[in-house]
Amino acid sequence: MLRFEKRDKTPIQLRLLVPAVSVLLGLLVGSVVMLFARVNPLKAYGAIVKGAFGSGYTFSETLVIAVPLILISAGLCLVYRMKFLNIGAKGQYIIGAICGSYLALFGPATLSRPLLLTLMMVLGMIGGALWAIIPALLKVYWNVNEVIATLLLNYIASYILWYFMYGTWGTRGFPLSKNFAVNAQLPRILPAPSRLHIGLFFALAAAVVIWVIIRKTRFGYEAMVIGENERAARYAGINVVKTVIIAAAISGGLDGLAGIAHTSAVLRLLQLEINSDYGYTAIIVAWLAGLDPLVAVGVSVLLAALEAGGYQIQIVMRVPFGIVGVIESAILFCLLAGEIVTHYHIRLTRRVAA
Amino acid sequence: MDGQEQLMLVMNDITKRFPGIVANDHVSFALRKGEIHTLLGENGAGKSTLMNVLDGIYYPDEGEIFIEGKRVNLRSPLDSMKHGIGMIHQHFMLVDSLSVIENVILGLESQGFFVDKRAIAHQIEAIATRYNFRVDPYARIWQLSVGEQQRVEIIKTLFRGARILILDEPTAVLTPQESEELFGILREMKSEGKSIIFISHKLNEVMSVSDRVTVLRKGRLIGTVDTAAVTEGELAKMMIGRDVLFRLERKKAELGPEVLKVEDALAYNDRGLIAVNKLNITVHAGEIVGIAGVAGNGQVELAECITGLRRLAGGHVALKGVDVTNASPCTLASAGVNYIPADRLGVGLVPNLSTIENAMLRNYRKEPISKGAFISYAAACTYTDGLIKKYDIAVPLQNAPVKVLSGGNMQKLLLAREIGERPKLLIAEHPTRGLDVGATEFVRSMLLEQRNNGVAILLISEDLDEILMVADRVAVMYEGRIVGIVDVDSVDVAQIGLMMAGSTAAVQS
Repeated sequence: MLRFEKRDKTPIQLRLLVPAVSVLLGLLVGSVVMLFARVNPLKAYGAIVKGAFGSGYTFSETLVIAVPLILISAGLCLVYRMKFLNIGAKGQYIIGAICGSYLALFGPATLSRPLLLTLMMVLGMIGGALWAIIPALLKVYWNVNEVIATLLLNYIASYILWYFMYGTWGTRGFPLSKNFAVNAQLPRILPAPSRLHIGLFFALAAAVVIWVIIRKTRFGYEAMVIGENERAARYAGINVVKTVIIAAAISGGLDGLAGIAHTSAVLRLLQLEINSDYGYTAIIVAWLAGLDPLVAVGVSVLLAALEAGGYQIQIVMRVPFGIVGVIESAILFCLLAGEIVTHYHIRLTRRVAA
Repeated sequence: MDGQEQLMLVMNDITKRFPGIVANDHVSFALRKGEIHTLLGENGAGKSTLMNVLDGIYYPDEGEIFIEGKRVNLRSPLDSMKHGIGMIHQHFMLVDSLSVIENVILGLESQGFFVDKRAIAHQIEAIATRYNFRVDPYARIWQLSVGEQQRVEIIKTLFRGARILILDEPTAVLTPQESEELFGILREMKSEGKSIIFISHKLNEVMSVSDRVTVLRKGRLIGTVDTAAVTEGELAKMMIGRDVLFRLERKKAELGPEVLKVEDALAYNDRGLIAVNKLNITVHAGEIVGIAGVAGNGQVELAECITGLRRLAGGHVALKGVDVTNASPCTLASAGVNYIPADRLGVGLVPNLSTIENAMLRNYRKEPISKGAFISYAAACTYTDGLIKKYDIAVPLQNAPVKVLSGGNMQKLLLAREIGERPKLLIAEHPTRGLDVGATEFVRSMLLEQRNNGVAILLISEDLDEILMVADRVAVMYEGRIVGIVDVDSVDVAQIGLMMAGSTAAVQS
């Protein structure tokens, strides 16, 4: 018979062990699926590693994916500590991309490149922030569950993108915008064919800034107290409404920035598929990183490697890219299940006849 | 064995270890048929562990349990129920929206798919009549008073055929009159041959209701004595291992200017019902005003109105003559209003944060802990060290979550934080609830020290003895109003008890 006894504190080894075991189990689940597809998992994982880190170019492609993951997960670390469970990064990413792209496509052509790019990034952040403020307001004033609100707003954002792509922003009946002018393309930092762009520096800066906010500032302390005990926060005189809205806006702003930076630097046009599912992958990054934005930088690179390598094995070994989704989901599933181990002692007891 | 036959229950050499501590260290306990047996001890003495072992929640590492001479293995509350053990927890395990009948049969395996409610109602009434009380089987739990809900809990255990009843601090939520009624029921059950284990801190109750007392201290058995053969003082000494001051040194209050004035306050509770109803009260510097009353008569809401945590729907609150009606908690805190909430871990502290992060909760906005938008955790650490030394708080690790502290040390930390801020007005809500004798003594003497330093104190407590011990004036709160206010020196306890129960005769006289 299993017995659960609540722990007073979680040993540090467990806090490291749970994510590590989760990743291993995720890979194991992936292997099983691959075996069904008659693919040698070891070869496939080898190909993934090679596809992600095999050369300077492939590694730079991994970093291209890591940039939005770092940006988004940094913001999620902050709001998740406040127990504002924003799973709407996808929607905020899309709205950010739409807002910034508007300027790229329809802005005055006379703007200088630095000014235009700055305005695009700012507009993207504002768009993402507003998209995150909606569920924050719903939560603080009407107690609407933010998980549901942010999730549903993802669909709305997707369809807004569809509306523009199949509408006035598409070209010749295709759901693609015209290419961004050079002035509206965020600079890449390595020679072609690498697509790595200066968004990498935004991402690293964001991770550091969010880390400082969490660890060193009054705002970070207030957000943490709200997350741990909202009644105590009110009792301590913390303005819960203001703090939740600002933190949600920061998170949404970073998501929006990720969206417009990726669109502007990597895709160089707006289309239906703008890799907005990074908004979901980043959730796994944040939890794997224990809600520490600096650790999240490393974890982002690892999951980005899985994605980049996943594209490779799809091409080389004809393994569907969906396998990456299976592995990622299995990791998150194990991670959440692992919570029970970090909070409870599990003891096996033999049932003795009474 | 003649002696054995009289024994309902024997717990022999029970040892239960948790990581780092031995909660029960070879504790033995014997319960006779038809006796009321008190289990006495401070917090952390191991009473709850021992009773949880009996209720099948914990399984002991060593030791044996015999019921009527037969060795038993209690692996779950269900096992215990089958052996006739029923526990009545301090927090009732009732479903508010269900009727008494539904609560009584909840979880019973013997009930089939269809339930004959009328038959069960008859059985419930039969049990109630046998012990001289009444309960409406069709009433919903939320319609019942706390005392009536407790009786439903008792019926639940009796309905399941309990012969051994464990009551965990049953009087904590009752008025003196309700407590007396409960004791009447317990005596009735005793005469029927039921065995009752009674857990309590209140020595006067222990003396009046129980036949024998078993005292635990730090997980060890100190002894079992016949109540008739000991005094309260001797029991207290057994419990804490030294003499206790039952009377606190209290000099006459030196009344200062009026600090708090509440006029016609009107407020609603979370369910939208009137909780504070046109209430008036004043507190002067250097006095303690005690608010007596049964829980749920608006005390919590009143405290929340004064501290800015709840909106006043009408009336005024003034602090030193300045109107602070519906000011924010932040404004009130910086104006010198400090608050020790009843719900320590729910409101006053943040369980998962460290001692440091909890100690700074009230003054992280002030220098030197606050440096602009930043926080100096080094300064916070120094500040916390100061509090820990000054108030002698036992903190194993400052970075460990505050929830690992003992109840007494949590309360010391909370108290230290609130009075360390040099308050003008201190609102203390059940400040000694659940604390052991030593910590209770500490908290009460700190309150008196603050009063002597000229702080105005509003003490909200269910423990009338506590109010009589430390307060200068006693106000009785009933259904959101102050129904009477008397000087503590001219108090008539019986009359206060009647007022707490809402007796209008007492209010008018």
